[in-house]
Amino acid sequence: MDNAVKLNFPSDPRYLGVVRGAIERFAALVGFDEEDCRWITLAVHEALTNVIRHAYHNKHDQPVELRLRERDEGMEVVMVDHGTGVKPEQMCGRELDDVRPGGLGLHMIREIMNETQYMPLEGRNELHLYKKRGTKTSVGE
Amino acid sequence: MNISTRQQGNSTLVDVHGDIDLYNSPEVRKIILEELKEKKVARLIVNLTGVRYIDSSGVASLVEGLKVSRTMSSRFMLYGLSPAAREVLELSRLIRVFEVYGTEQEALQAK
Repeated sequence: MDNAVKLNFPSDPRYLGVVRGAIERFAALVGFDEEDCRWITLAVHEALTNVIRHAYHNKHDQPVELRLRERDEGMEVVMVDHGTGVKPEQMCGRELDDVRPGGLGLHMIREIMNETQYMPLEGRNELHLYKKRGTKTSVGE
Repeated sequence: MNISTRQQGNSTLVDVHGDIDLYNSPEVRKIILEELKEKKVARLIVNLTGVRYIDSSGVASLVEGLKVSRTMSSRFMLYGLSPAAREVLELSRLIRVFEVYGTEQEALQAK
Protein backbone atom coordinates (compact mmCIF):
# COMPACT_ATOMS: atom_id res chain seq x y z
CA MET A 1 0.00 0.00 0.00
CA ASP A 2 2.28 2.74 -1.31
CA ASN A 3 1.81 6.38 -0.42
CA ALA A 4 -0.32 5.45 2.57
CA VAL A 5 -0.54 7.43 5.77
CA LYS A 6 0.18 4.91 8.52
CA LEU A 7 -0.96 5.24 12.09
CA ASN A 8 0.17 2.87 14.82
CA PHE A 9 -1.47 3.08 18.23
CA PRO A 10 -2.50 0.88 21.18
CA SER A 11 -6.01 -0.54 21.48
CA ASP A 12 -6.93 1.99 24.16
CA PRO A 13 -10.36 3.67 23.79
CA ARG A 14 -8.80 6.89 25.13
CA TYR A 15 -7.18 7.38 21.72
CA LEU A 16 -10.37 6.97 19.69
CA GLY A 17 -10.90 10.73 19.47
CA VAL A 18 -7.35 11.26 18.23
CA VAL A 19 -7.75 8.60 15.53
CA ARG A 20 -11.13 10.03 14.47
CA GLY A 21 -9.50 13.41 13.99
CA ALA A 22 -6.88 11.92 11.67
CA ILE A 23 -9.44 9.97 9.62
CA GLU A 24 -11.76 12.97 9.20
CA ARG A 25 -8.92 15.21 8.06
CA PHE A 26 -7.61 12.60 5.63
CA ALA A 27 -11.09 12.16 4.12
CA ALA A 28 -11.34 15.94 3.67
CA LEU A 29 -7.89 16.02 2.07
CA VAL A 30 -8.98 13.33 -0.42
CA GLY A 31 -11.96 15.52 -1.38
CA PHE A 32 -14.97 14.20 0.49
CA ASP A 33 -17.55 16.74 1.63
CA GLU A 34 -18.23 17.42 5.30
CA GLU A 35 -21.08 14.92 5.57
CA ASP A 36 -19.13 12.10 3.91
CA CYS A 37 -16.14 12.86 6.12
CA ARG A 38 -18.39 12.27 9.14
CA TRP A 39 -19.69 9.01 7.69
CA ILE A 40 -16.25 7.64 6.83
CA THR A 41 -14.98 8.60 10.26
CA LEU A 42 -17.90 6.79 11.88
CA ALA A 43 -17.34 3.63 9.81
CA VAL A 44 -13.62 3.43 10.59
CA HIS A 45 -14.28 4.27 14.25
CA GLU A 46 -16.83 1.44 14.47
CA ALA A 47 -14.35 -0.99 12.90
CA LEU A 48 -11.75 0.10 15.43
CA THR A 49 -14.10 -0.37 18.39
CA ASN A 50 -14.87 -3.88 17.06
CA VAL A 51 -11.15 -4.63 17.09
CA ILE A 52 -10.82 -3.37 20.68
CA ARG A 53 -13.87 -5.25 21.92
CA HIS A 54 -13.84 -8.48 19.93
CA ALA A 55 -10.32 -9.06 18.60
CA TYR A 56 -8.52 -7.79 21.71
CA HIS A 57 -11.30 -8.44 24.28
CA ASN A 58 -10.95 -4.91 25.71
CA LYS A 59 -7.21 -5.21 26.35
CA HIS A 60 -5.88 -1.68 26.00
CA ASP A 61 -2.21 -2.33 25.18
CA GLN A 62 -2.44 -4.26 21.93
CA PRO A 63 -1.16 -2.97 18.57
CA VAL A 64 -3.43 -1.55 15.90
CA GLU A 65 -2.22 -0.32 12.51
CA LEU A 66 -4.28 1.90 10.28
CA ARG A 67 -3.33 2.71 6.69
CA LEU A 68 -5.14 5.48 4.83
CA ARG A 69 -4.70 6.01 1.12
CA GLU A 70 -6.34 7.74 -1.83
CA ARG A 71 -7.43 5.22 -4.48
CA ASP A 72 -9.71 5.28 -7.54
CA GLU A 73 -11.40 8.60 -6.74
CA GLY A 74 -11.97 7.54 -3.20
CA MET A 75 -10.37 6.52 0.05
CA GLU A 76 -9.06 3.14 1.12
CA VAL A 77 -8.56 2.15 4.74
CA VAL A 78 -6.75 -0.96 5.93
CA MET A 79 -6.94 -1.85 9.62
CA VAL A 80 -4.59 -4.51 10.96
CA ASP A 81 -4.80 -6.23 14.33
CA HIS A 82 -3.18 -9.29 15.89
CA GLY A 83 -6.08 -10.43 18.03
CA THR A 84 -8.74 -13.10 17.85
CA GLY A 85 -10.06 -13.49 14.33
CA VAL A 86 -13.52 -14.51 13.25
CA LYS A 87 -14.68 -16.28 10.12
CA PRO A 88 -15.90 -13.73 7.56
CA GLU A 89 -19.28 -15.52 7.39
CA GLN A 90 -19.74 -14.88 11.13
CA MET A 91 -19.72 -11.13 10.53
CA CYS A 92 -23.39 -10.89 9.77
CA GLY A 93 -24.66 -7.97 11.90
CA ARG A 94 -28.26 -8.14 13.06
CA GLU A 95 -31.81 -7.27 12.09
CA LEU A 96 -32.50 -3.62 12.85
CA ASP A 97 -36.17 -4.26 13.57
CA ASP A 98 -35.04 -5.87 16.81
CA VAL A 99 -34.65 -2.80 19.05
CA ARG A 100 -31.93 -3.66 21.50
CA PRO A 101 -28.50 -2.39 22.49
CA GLY A 102 -25.46 -3.64 20.58
CA GLY A 103 -24.66 -5.12 17.18
CA LEU A 104 -25.01 -1.86 15.27
CA GLY A 105 -21.40 -1.22 14.31
CA LEU A 106 -21.15 -3.73 11.48
CA HIS A 107 -24.44 -2.53 10.01
CA MET A 108 -23.13 1.05 10.02
CA ILE A 109 -19.85 0.08 8.35
CA ARG A 110 -21.63 -1.77 5.53
CA GLU A 111 -24.16 1.02 4.99
CA ILE A 112 -21.45 3.67 4.72
CA MET A 113 -18.59 2.03 2.81
CA ASN A 114 -18.73 0.77 -0.79
CA GLU A 115 -16.39 -2.15 -0.13
CA THR A 116 -15.82 -4.11 3.07
CA GLN A 117 -13.47 -7.06 3.09
CA TYR A 118 -12.34 -8.86 6.24
CA MET A 119 -9.39 -11.23 6.03
CA PRO A 120 -8.23 -13.38 8.97
CA LEU A 121 -4.61 -14.15 8.04
CA GLU A 122 -1.72 -15.97 9.67
CA GLY A 123 -0.95 -14.00 12.85
CA ARG A 124 -3.07 -10.99 11.94
CA ASN A 125 -6.47 -9.82 10.75
CA GLU A 126 -6.97 -7.24 8.03
CA LEU A 127 -10.08 -5.21 7.34
CA HIS A 128 -10.13 -3.40 3.99
CA LEU A 129 -12.64 -0.57 3.55
CA TYR A 130 -13.21 1.62 0.50
CA LYS A 131 -15.45 4.62 -0.12
CA LYS A 132 -15.76 6.29 -3.51
CA ARG A 133 -16.36 10.02 -3.77
CA GLY A 134 -19.90 10.93 -4.78
CA THR A 135 -21.56 7.79 -3.39
CA LYS A 136 -23.87 9.13 -0.73
CA THR A 137 -24.83 7.20 2.37
CA SER A 138 -28.56 6.56 2.62
CA VAL A 139 -30.19 6.96 6.00
CA GLY A 140 -33.78 6.47 4.85
CA GLU A 141 -36.23 3.82 6.04
CA MET B 1 -16.87 14.30 28.24
CA ASN B 2 -18.83 15.82 31.13
CA ILE B 3 -22.16 14.55 32.36
CA SER B 4 -24.42 15.99 35.05
CA THR B 5 -28.04 15.88 36.12
CA ARG B 6 -30.53 18.53 37.21
CA GLN B 7 -34.19 18.68 38.15
CA GLN B 8 -36.89 20.69 36.36
CA GLY B 9 -40.31 20.08 37.92
CA ASN B 10 -41.06 16.37 37.60
CA SER B 11 -38.38 15.90 34.95
CA THR B 12 -34.76 14.91 35.45
CA LEU B 13 -32.40 16.23 32.82
CA VAL B 14 -29.09 14.59 31.95
CA ASP B 15 -26.71 17.10 30.36
CA VAL B 16 -23.96 15.50 28.28
CA HIS B 17 -21.07 17.52 26.85
CA GLY B 18 -18.44 16.02 24.56
CA ASP B 19 -18.20 12.93 22.39
CA ILE B 20 -19.97 9.72 23.42
CA ASP B 21 -17.89 6.75 22.31
CA LEU B 22 -16.57 3.44 23.58
CA TYR B 23 -14.30 5.29 26.02
CA ASN B 24 -17.02 7.09 27.94
CA SER B 25 -20.37 5.53 26.99
CA PRO B 26 -20.19 3.26 30.10
CA GLU B 27 -20.44 6.43 32.22
CA VAL B 28 -23.45 7.69 30.25
CA ARG B 29 -25.09 4.29 30.63
CA LYS B 30 -24.37 4.23 34.38
CA ILE B 31 -25.92 7.65 35.02
CA ILE B 32 -29.01 6.94 32.91
CA LEU B 33 -29.64 3.56 34.54
CA GLU B 34 -29.06 4.99 38.04
CA GLU B 35 -31.69 7.65 37.46
CA LEU B 36 -34.19 5.17 36.08
CA LYS B 37 -33.62 2.11 38.26
CA GLU B 38 -32.48 3.52 41.60
CA LYS B 39 -33.98 7.01 41.72
CA LYS B 40 -37.01 5.83 39.74
CA VAL B 41 -37.47 9.18 38.02
CA ALA B 42 -40.78 9.77 36.24
CA ARG B 43 -39.33 11.56 33.19
CA LEU B 44 -35.72 11.37 32.05
CA ILE B 45 -34.65 13.87 29.39
CA VAL B 46 -31.20 13.53 27.83
CA ASN B 47 -29.75 16.83 26.61
CA LEU B 48 -27.52 16.14 23.61
CA THR B 49 -26.96 19.74 22.51
CA GLY B 50 -23.33 19.50 23.63
CA VAL B 51 -22.68 16.18 21.89
CA ARG B 52 -20.97 16.47 18.51
CA TYR B 53 -20.26 12.78 18.04
CA ILE B 54 -21.94 9.56 19.14
CA ASP B 55 -20.99 6.02 18.13
CA SER B 56 -22.83 2.68 18.28
CA SER B 57 -21.86 2.14 21.92
CA GLY B 58 -23.40 5.52 22.78
CA VAL B 59 -26.53 4.63 20.81
CA ALA B 60 -26.64 1.30 22.67
CA SER B 61 -26.58 3.18 26.01
CA LEU B 62 -29.56 5.28 24.90
CA VAL B 63 -31.43 2.19 23.67
CA GLU B 64 -30.82 0.47 27.00
CA GLY B 65 -32.13 3.56 28.81
CA LEU B 66 -35.23 3.52 26.63
CA LYS B 67 -35.88 -0.16 27.30
CA VAL B 68 -35.38 0.22 31.07
CA SER B 69 -37.66 3.27 31.09
CA ARG B 70 -40.41 1.14 29.55
CA THR B 71 -40.09 -1.51 32.27
CA MET B 72 -40.08 1.23 34.93
CA SER B 73 -43.05 3.03 33.33
CA SER B 74 -40.96 6.20 32.98
CA ARG B 75 -40.72 8.62 30.05
CA PHE B 76 -37.38 8.73 28.20
CA MET B 77 -36.72 11.64 25.87
CA LEU B 78 -33.88 13.15 23.87
CA TYR B 79 -33.39 16.70 22.66
CA GLY B 80 -30.83 18.86 20.89
CA LEU B 81 -29.42 16.27 18.48
CA SER B 82 -26.51 17.53 16.38
CA PRO B 83 -26.60 16.63 12.66
CA ALA B 84 -24.02 13.89 13.33
CA ALA B 85 -25.99 12.39 16.23
CA ARG B 86 -29.22 12.49 14.23
CA GLU B 87 -27.50 10.82 11.25
CA VAL B 88 -26.23 7.97 13.43
CA LEU B 89 -29.71 7.35 14.88
CA GLU B 90 -31.20 7.48 11.38
CA LEU B 91 -28.58 5.11 9.96
CA SER B 92 -29.29 2.61 12.72
CA ARG B 93 -33.07 3.03 12.05
CA LEU B 94 -33.54 3.94 15.72
CA ILE B 95 -34.61 7.56 15.42
CA ARG B 96 -38.23 6.42 15.23
CA VAL B 97 -38.16 4.54 18.54
CA PHE B 98 -37.09 7.57 20.60
CA GLU B 99 -39.09 10.61 21.64
CA VAL B 100 -36.92 13.32 20.08
CA TYR B 101 -37.45 17.07 20.60
CA GLY B 102 -35.64 20.09 19.26
CA THR B 103 -35.35 22.09 22.45
CA GLU B 104 -35.43 21.66 26.21
CA GLN B 105 -38.67 23.62 26.40
CA GLU B 106 -40.35 21.30 23.90
CA ALA B 107 -39.21 18.23 25.84
CA LEU B 108 -40.36 19.66 29.16
CA GLN B 109 -43.76 20.60 27.76
CA ALA B 110 -44.32 17.25 26.00
CA LYS B 111 -47.60 15.67 27.12
